[in-house]
Amino acid sequence: MIQFDKTLLKNGLTVIVHTDRSTPFVAVNVCYNVGSKHEDPNRTGFAHLFEHLTFGGSRHVADFDTAVQMAGGANNAFTSNDLTNYYITLPANNIETAMWLESDRMLGPKFTKKGLDVQKKVVIEEFRQRNLNKPYGDVWHLMRDLAYKVHPYRWPTIGLVPEHIASATLEDVKDFFFHHYAPNNAVLVISGNIGSSDAFKLAEKWFSGIPSREIAPYLLQTEPPQTTDRELTVYRDVPIDTFYVMWHMGGRNEKDFYKLDLLSDILSNGSSSRFEVKLVKEQKLFTEADAYLSGENEPGLFVATGKASPGIDIQLAREKMLEEILMTAETSITDYELEKVKNRVEADLLLNEIGYLEKAIQLASFEIMGDAAEINNQGKRYLEITAADLLKTAGELFRKGNRNTLNYLSLQNSKK
Amino acid sequence: MSAFRKIAPPVHSVEKIDFIEPEHQLLPGGTSFFTLYGGTQEVVKLDFSFMAGTWFETSKLESMMAASMISEGTSGKTARQIADRIDFYGAQLNSLPYYDNNYVSLLSLKKHLPHLLPLLAEIIQDASFPEHEFEIMRQKRKQRAIVDAEKVGLVAQRTFLRSLMGEGHPYAPISSPEAYDNVTLDGSKSHYLRHYYSANATLFASGDVDAGVQKMIVDNFGSGWGTPFPYKKDQPQIQSAAQKTVFIERESANQNALSIGKRVPTQHHPDSAGLKLVTTILGGYFGSRLMSNLREEKGLTYGIHASVVSFVRDAIFMIHAEVTAEKTEEAIKEIFLEMQRLREELVPESELEPLRSFLLGRMLEDFDGPFARSQSFSSLYEAGLSVGYFDQIIHTIKTTTPEQIRVLARTYLDPETMYTVAAGKK
Repeated sequence: MIQFDKTLLKNGLTVIVHTDRSTPFVAVNVCYNVGSKHEDPNRTGFAHLFEHLTFGGSRHVADFDTAVQMAGGANNAFTSNDLTNYYITLPANNIETAMWLESDRMLGPKFTKKGLDVQKKVVIEEFRQRNLNKPYGDVWHLMRDLAYKVHPYRWPTIGLVPEHIASATLEDVKDFFFHHYAPNNAVLVISGNIGSSDAFKLAEKWFSGIPSREIAPYLLQTEPPQTTDRELTVYRDVPIDTFYVMWHMGGRNEKDFYKLDLLSDILSNGSSSRFEVKLVKEQKLFTEADAYLSGENEPGLFVATGKASPGIDIQLAREKMLEEILMTAETSITDYELEKVKNRVEADLLLNEIGYLEKAIQLASFEIMGDAAEINNQGKRYLEITAADLLKTAGELFRKGNRNTLNYLSLQNSKK
Repeated sequence: MSAFRKIAPPVHSVEKIDFIEPEHQLLPGGTSFFTLYGGTQEVVKLDFSFMAGTWFETSKLESMMAASMISEGTSGKTARQIADRIDFYGAQLNSLPYYDNNYVSLLSLKKHLPHLLPLLAEIIQDASFPEHEFEIMRQKRKQRAIVDAEKVGLVAQRTFLRSLMGEGHPYAPISSPEAYDNVTLDGSKSHYLRHYYSANATLFASGDVDAGVQKMIVDNFGSGWGTPFPYKKDQPQIQSAAQKTVFIERESANQNALSIGKRVPTQHHPDSAGLKLVTTILGGYFGSRLMSNLREEKGLTYGIHASVVSFVRDAIFMIHAEVTAEKTEEAIKEIFLEMQRLREELVPESELEPLRSFLLGRMLEDFDGPFARSQSFSSLYEAGLSVGYFDQIIHTIKTTTPEQIRVLARTYLDPETMYTVAAGKK
């Protein structure tokens, strides 16, 4: 159970406080309701580029990093398809430094041509390092493009192509800021060694003077139900053949999300999972086999993937994995298996209650989805699931027509 | 907007860090047992540290395979039965190989320990190394190594380490995935039998380790296991490569990986703490000189880092980055330029002051909560250092002068002594 207090400032900023007296630190975490899904399809990668830019100083702060260091703190940020999250951790008695910096970032970063030009280069290097210069680095570009035709999840956070990042202008940047960065589009979470009333006072002092802004409307584009299975085969300069099979599933807020999370655990979480026992150890078809959820807030993907053992045909391995998945989905899951994965969830949820920063990030993320209190309902949602529930949901997921297959094959092997 | 925004709020420096040593007892079987009580949840972490890393191998990969086989079967239980139990109680079991000490760790809810501690004892004390599981594990590891061999970053770092140490040195990584074809079941099992015995183990128990948990630990691990192995290793010869510059060609790369550095004194040397500070100024944090120059000024890289990697019996200074392929020469030039600046110019106090505060904050973080404390003390004891080392670090952070920094840079950052390994497109 994660206790917290919540209030709403007049300018629309939601403030959440979680007290944890076991640490000498506090985290000041600001989460904006803007991610790559809010981008123009012709200018992707913008939310993430923007995150980089906001570290270049703001109206009253010449240099963010030096200010954080002086206070003995550390700071960072991340951008996902759904949101952009900034955090500073520092000794509790220096919390005002973090409040100063994060409120000034919200008030208005300092944008310069030089700053933009350099960060465009840095982000393009990040693109290269993570997605172009690494074996299997472009898998998510291909998967998203195959699985989504309408929804903006069809491009990854880093962007569709480096050219989109290269073409960003200072005007675009300013425009983006005023349409997305605003108290009425953000959640501030303060966690760690501070009481609620002190934290609320500081939030009022530093954030209440920032005006509300008009937020660009997010036009929800629902992905139409897929009716025909899709398959794409690519050849790349990689040593080992692999595949990714994906099915469309429900969003993070839906009950099915929890069921499918348990199903993916039964299939592949831990050495006693079905994939590990049957596909890796008994049949020796794979050296690695995995099932997981892409995990976005809006309807995402259920993914199954694996690397075949040497000498095993990748198509055969894939068919065997699909058989195993369908068998699990069609026949009964044992009570023992269900109890096992529920025990794992119980342990994982308790472990998630240890770090003051992790708790702040999770509280913010749940609040962006609708309600921070949902963080404490997760356990219940998992525990109430029955084997029959799982089979029903799995049946809907694995229906014919809902499948996308990416065969990611080795160029070298194909020439042999 | 309010006037208070215009000036930075006052800051307080970190005054006190609690270095209180963990409670210690020597178990009858010779295991050194440390307890670090604390935390907010009913969770316990056990970390067994065995002097069993690559340093102790008679041939490559024995340590890695021994660590991987720990949970793959005992004389009474199959790999499947072990996995079933661990997973059923939602615990996390990790057995990891390193250069000096190998670790076996269990993270569990306290309430499940009565079921899990006897199992953990059985795994550690009676691993049976079944052949079927060994072959599967070997294939799995080899495939991972094959993929890793395609990553220019790893290729550069591993080649760099081999260049410094010499191919045959126990700290030198394998040169190709084919090395997995030569590791044997017998060799790995011997490695386990020789090094995973009670008197060769240190145990750190952290979290909600109350008297009841301590008693359970003593009951399961107190009386000892295994046969002490009369181990004596000659200090292996360092055979650094004569060629200080290496280029490994990878035609399809669109970024080149760089590893630049040299061997430096271990943590027992009086300069060690100071050299770590110099390394941090150069490339050890976001505001470092290399990051400011190559990333924030020129946009040549997503990230560049300098660090001192401390082994128990050696240490290396290493700069690593992945840079725009066609700008490789420029990046190398700038890296050497930044080292040269530290050798010539005094670091201004305006740069040192925030760094001192920042590092004290990170030090405070290293002792925040039982798990972090456990990690800090296990590294300390593994290196054969005492708690006074932490005080020495604090003292170094607070008092090292710009002149001392320049002396250290002149001593250790001589460009003539540096090895430069690049992997990517020529």
